[in-house]
Amino acid sequence: MLTAVVTQSGSAFTVHLVATVPPNSTAEQTTSSEPMLLAANEVASVTATAEETIKPGPSPIAPELKEVAWGGGSFVVFAVLMRFVLFPRLKKGMDARYAGIRADHEGADATRAEAKAEVAGYEAQLAGVKAEAAAHIDAARQTLEAERAARLEVVGAEIAQHRAAATAENDAARAAVQSQIESAVADVSGRAIELAVGKRPDATVVARVVADVMGAGVSR
Amino acid sequence: MLGLEFPPINEILRWQDVFSSFNKIALIAVAAAVLGTVVFLLAGSKDATVAPKGIRNLAETSVEFIEDSVIMQTMGKEGLGWTPFLLSLFVFIFLCNMTGIIPILQMPATARIAIPLFLSLLVWIVFIGTGLKHQKARYFTNLLWPPGVPAALKPLVGLIEFFSTIIVRPLSLTVRLFANMLAGHILLVTFALLSEAMFQAKTHVPLLNIGGVLPFFMLVFLTAFEVLVVFLQAYIFTILTAVYIGSSTHAEH
Amino acid sequence: MEAISHVVAAGLTGDEQKKANAAIGAGFAYGIAAIGPGIGIGYIVGKSVEAMARQPEAAGMVRTTMFLGIAFTEALALIGFVVFILIGL
Repeated sequence: MLTAVVTQSGSAFTVHLVATVPPNSTAEQTTSSEPMLLAANEVASVTATAEETIKPGPSPIAPELKEVAWGGGSFVVFAVLMRFVLFPRLKKGMDARYAGIRADHEGADATRAEAKAEVAGYEAQLAGVKAEAAAHIDAARQTLEAERAARLEVVGAEIAQHRAAATAENDAARAAVQSQIESAVADVSGRAIELAVGKRPDATVVARVVADVMGAGVSR
Repeated sequence: MLGLEFPPINEILRWQDVFSSFNKIALIAVAAAVLGTVVFLLAGSKDATVAPKGIRNLAETSVEFIEDSVIMQTMGKEGLGWTPFLLSLFVFIFLCNMTGIIPILQMPATARIAIPLFLSLLVWIVFIGTGLKHQKARYFTNLLWPPGVPAALKPLVGLIEFFSTIIVRPLSLTVRLFANMLAGHILLVTFALLSEAMFQAKTHVPLLNIGGVLPFFMLVFLTAFEVLVVFLQAYIFTILTAVYIGSSTHAEH
Repeated sequence: MEAISHVVAAGLTGDEQKKANAAIGAGFAYGIAAIGPGIGIGYIVGKSVEAMARQPEAAGMVRTTMFLGIAFTEALALIGFVVFILIGL
């Protein structure tokens, strides 16, 4: 049985006659003598050449041996090349670089640790220096305190001495003045009693009485 | 009238043979392998001691992507030996997918079932081989009857495990990759054909022709979406391979 | 489905009728196959986002597991798509 496939592209019609039944006879014929094609012939020119034939072909589900062979062959070659040549070369470079990077990382870590240790040492040194400075300052302060205390003591002693001397002088002057007053008062009172009584009282008794009275006056 | 004749599936999936045993899919597969080789070869020849840039950066990023987001997430540290295999798998699938959105080529090589099927069978052989190597003959008994299954359930569990591991795993790997890429390709073809037909439609009112930009915008958007799918499918294929290999190195517990 | 095919295929010969039925069946095959995985993927992604929001430090692991889950769920829809190709095109 012949099947006609009419395809339109632009103004041209392509007509294929496909024989579907006998596979070993001529697969298809292009002809314009068939009555059903005459209608198409009236509309446009029939372009049907041997090139544009559609082979019935196998089912799309069935694998074609040549495709399996070529595809499989090229994959196997590719996989073998990858396994033995391409991948090892690439991987070697990658591993080397990663090892380098890792070594660099480790170096950086070591440097960082070193720097940290250095910083710690510096800080310890700094703390030592600070402690020393504090000790110096303390010592200086203590010396200063001691000096000040000694100086204060000396000055205080001097002042006390001066005060004692002044007090003694003062007391002496007061005692002198008092005895002068007492003798003057006794003299005056003795004279007054002599004038009143006509007889001179004992000087010592008068002196004692005067001293008593004056003491009472002072104490009051 | 808008006569949109959708071409038969073989027309959008097949290219004229270069020669009788070499077609577009084979060309793309070979080109992907060659491109991958060239990229990694150039990357390997660049100076490794300085910070990587350009092509070396690209290659190293893909290596680290496989190591960090595929192997470490599924197999752990002991799986790192699988990096070359998974990397080549990822790169190859990615490049084969990528041709679906590169102009002129416009055909993902994985949208034909041949390459996904081959890769899945390869993965199947690899994970069964790994299991045999790590667990010797006990691999199959561990596979069929995970430890701790009651004896009464053994026939049922064994049947289910056999199907899910031996049959469904490679089949789903194949179909996932193939059908995703084929669906994306058909979507792109549909919108491209629709916008072409609308641009060229013979109408009295040019409204239809102007409206042809709408499917064109959709086409652009879908192409951007396909970039994501391309990457994701390569990633999923690779990570599932890693999961399967990882599961055969240890007995399930 | 059959009713639609009757309407669509009115006046078709037996072979064409069969093709029309296949085309309709293919459409339904993929459409129905996409429902379950659609719900499933939505559920997976939603739960993953919840988990990532709750524990952002586990986001990488959750994302990997999410992709695995999506891949397994999506396979069902893709099988429907393959059926669609097989019988429809």
